[in-house]
Amino acid sequence: MFIQDMSCISAQSTYDDSLFEKGARFFDADKMVAAEPDYTNLIKSSQLRRMSKLMRMSVATAVPLINKYPDVSGVIIASSNGSVDRSLRFLSQIIEYDEGTLTPTDFVQSTANCIAGGLALIGGIRGYNTTHVNQGLSFESALLDALMQFNEHDQHELLVGGGEEISQGYYNIERKRGMYKDESINTKNLLSSNTKGTLLGEGVTMFMMSVDKNNKSIAKINDVDMIAHVNDEDLANKCLNFLKKNKLNPIDIDCLLLGRSGDSRTDIFYDHLAEKLFPKQSQYVFKHLTGDYCSVSAFATWLVAKLLSGVSLPPACIWSQGENRKPKNVLIYNHSEGLQHGFVLMSGV
Amino acid sequence: MAHEELALKLKNQIIKYLNFTDLTPADIDTDVELFGPESPMELDSIDAIELSVLLEREYELKITDSKQGKKVMSSVASMADFIVANGKS
Amino acid sequence: MQHRVFITGIGIISALGDGKDQTRQALVAGNSGIKKAELLASKYRDDFPFGEIPFTSEVLKDRANIADEKGISRTEILATIAVNQAIADAKLSADHVSNFGTAFISGSTVGGMSQTENMYYDASDEISASEFLSSYTLGEHTKNIMRRLKMKGVSSTFNTACSSSANAIMYGAKLIKSGRCDRAIVGGADALAKYTVNGFNSLQILSDELCRPFDQNRKGLNLGEGAAYLILESEEIVGDKKIYGEVTGYGNANDAYHASSISDDAIGIIKSISGALKSANLDESDIDYINAHGTGTINNDIAEETGMNKVFSKVPPFQSTKTYTGHTLASSGAIEAVICLVAMANNEIYASLNCSDPIDSYDIKPIERYQDNFSMKHILSNSFGFGGNCSSLIFSKV
Repeated sequence: MFIQDMSCISAQSTYDDSLFEKGARFFDADKMVAAEPDYTNLIKSSQLRRMSKLMRMSVATAVPLINKYPDVSGVIIASSNGSVDRSLRFLSQIIEYDEGTLTPTDFVQSTANCIAGGLALIGGIRGYNTTHVNQGLSFESALLDALMQFNEHDQHELLVGGGEEISQGYYNIERKRGMYKDESINTKNLLSSNTKGTLLGEGVTMFMMSVDKNNKSIAKINDVDMIAHVNDEDLANKCLNFLKKNKLNPIDIDCLLLGRSGDSRTDIFYDHLAEKLFPKQSQYVFKHLTGDYCSVSAFATWLVAKLLSGVSLPPACIWSQGENRKPKNVLIYNHSEGLQHGFVLMSGV
Repeated sequence: MAHEELALKLKNQIIKYLNFTDLTPADIDTDVELFGPESPMELDSIDAIELSVLLEREYELKITDSKQGKKVMSSVASMADFIVANGKS
Repeated sequence: MQHRVFITGIGIISALGDGKDQTRQALVAGNSGIKKAELLASKYRDDFPFGEIPFTSEVLKDRANIADEKGISRTEILATIAVNQAIADAKLSADHVSNFGTAFISGSTVGGMSQTENMYYDASDEISASEFLSSYTLGEHTKNIMRRLKMKGVSSTFNTACSSSANAIMYGAKLIKSGRCDRAIVGGADALAKYTVNGFNSLQILSDELCRPFDQNRKGLNLGEGAAYLILESEEIVGDKKIYGEVTGYGNANDAYHASSISDDAIGIIKSISGALKSANLDESDIDYINAHGTGTINNDIAEETGMNKVFSKVPPFQSTKTYTGHTLASSGAIEAVICLVAMANNEIYASLNCSDPIDSYDIKPIERYQDNFSMKHILSNSFGFGGNCSSLIFSKV
């Protein structure tokens, strides 16, 4: 399927694409908060006040795309946590008011499918509508959903997106699980920090996918695959089989975008895969720009689409310079906690 | 408690319950109509549920009748009057 | 090339019982599993009837063969029990399950939030952490079940509210149909939780009496809990296994009307039913029985009857089996799929329960009495959720 249009909110200036002229910004942080746009002309204030951060970022990225493609057939969203802040607010109400009279708004908005439902409502989109909450593989599952949907049904466009919001409560839970850096860090040094943990990020990326290629197409998503609970060797075999299924050998991949997160316990998967199968290719990275979150491969897909459409990525995204090749076939490899591994194969148009 | 203090307290609570993160009490006129498209606040039926929860939680006052509710919640002033009349300020 | 999708195993646990036999016994006898809850830790436990599984999580962990594991949510325990049953029912070997060509697709709306209090304290700034720290996210049960079963292949977890496991079944069927997978374990799970009890109560749609789907005097739904999973296998590998039926059609649409209610015109419902019929290449007159979403809320039931009347020139025998299980949220699609398959295998339909004064807007009413010798070739099962999500599945006899 082809990416016809896309929009991204992240910790960088991605909404207006000025990331590519200004370069990446780095800062001292324990979380990488999204740089939200001015919503004044995008969302009515009476609606905005009710929206969770995830919802307003989703509306700001998706609605312009829906407006350009009003015949879009369906909405597929990936968000492992949904409007987690609303969930935790409702939870707090339950505990703090000892199950007394509670307001329904937080409950209704907390459901993960609130984004896909809300966008369908705003756009009057009555077709296929799903929400994937599959932790680190949420976006890959959503992409696969879209590929199968196009394959089976007479549909031309689908809105596909992924994102998460930061909530202090969720951050506390994950911090207690040992997911984040113990020490304060400048994001520039995240990926070379060589300590355990990463930084939590947030953001939303939306795509208008099309089954047909035309002169507006930005990039192609060839295929998606995933594997879980494996060692290096099984991972490499999976990758090989994935490429073979798409009639490619590792040498045919021009460069990689890797989801290195700066977590010394698990970044080793990226080292091993790259060494084993792609020793000569350039490796790009991105989580020092965005932080890590469950559906971050949506951002990765956006970044590769930019690369394939001829945009130069910020120098900060280069992890290692390999052979100088014009990118035609790019592989994204991202894992979550070294347990869930996803591959997205993209090519230029 | 004088109505003014109560009105200020109510405005802060309304801001919190209805998530008006960009407003301060000074932005809310005590006597202005809260509901409907003509109102500067533009509150709707979901907000009505939230305000009825506010009255129950903060002032132990239950609205039993929706007509009564419409009248009571029409402005900050009418809410303050209701609270004082029920001896809950 | 499109591969046919057969159902070779089923697993279920709900207020009706543990496993397909106990489930069928209760259905045949017309015995509802909805009653006063004993275990639910909620102030509202005595105010509403619930479809509670009458065993503590500790006892259920034992049944799931995970007694030694700490911090497993009740949702995950229920899911594990039903998955294990389905695998055994389909006589899958460990190698079949862990094969790369086997997918695991699940649905849940509450996940580990069933441990409501633990989550509150774990989310606080205090240093201490409960054993449930890792259990909260909706996909955690999917990941853990795969880990235990050494599954490595394609996975997903759906949250489309009450249509979650119906969409999980649909996704698994598509994976097989498209040739991406040979086999898929599909379904969903949701445990009763303070979180959802309070959520639905705040919307004022819980009934303080037994729910009365499609009755003029219905007052709301009864919450239930449970899990159910199906084993889907492609025709190429099914061999001469026992087959419950075939997934022949599915439809998914969005009502796009309101976050928590369905439109009076039932547009989403009509689209999902029509989509399922189209994908199955069937005419509306081919459907022999409808297992409705039928929650017993004022909004859902009239909308659903409206939708059925618009699609079917003569509405086939229909009912809601939520009168037996309660509304089991994400797992309802899969639980009702199992009920449909059991009915189809035994050529029977079950009494509807609690509908003494049917909605009079249309000249239809739910099935009244149990009937055997009721042969069915094609069954439609509907699941609708908040966010306008409407899903319909068609199961056919093979």
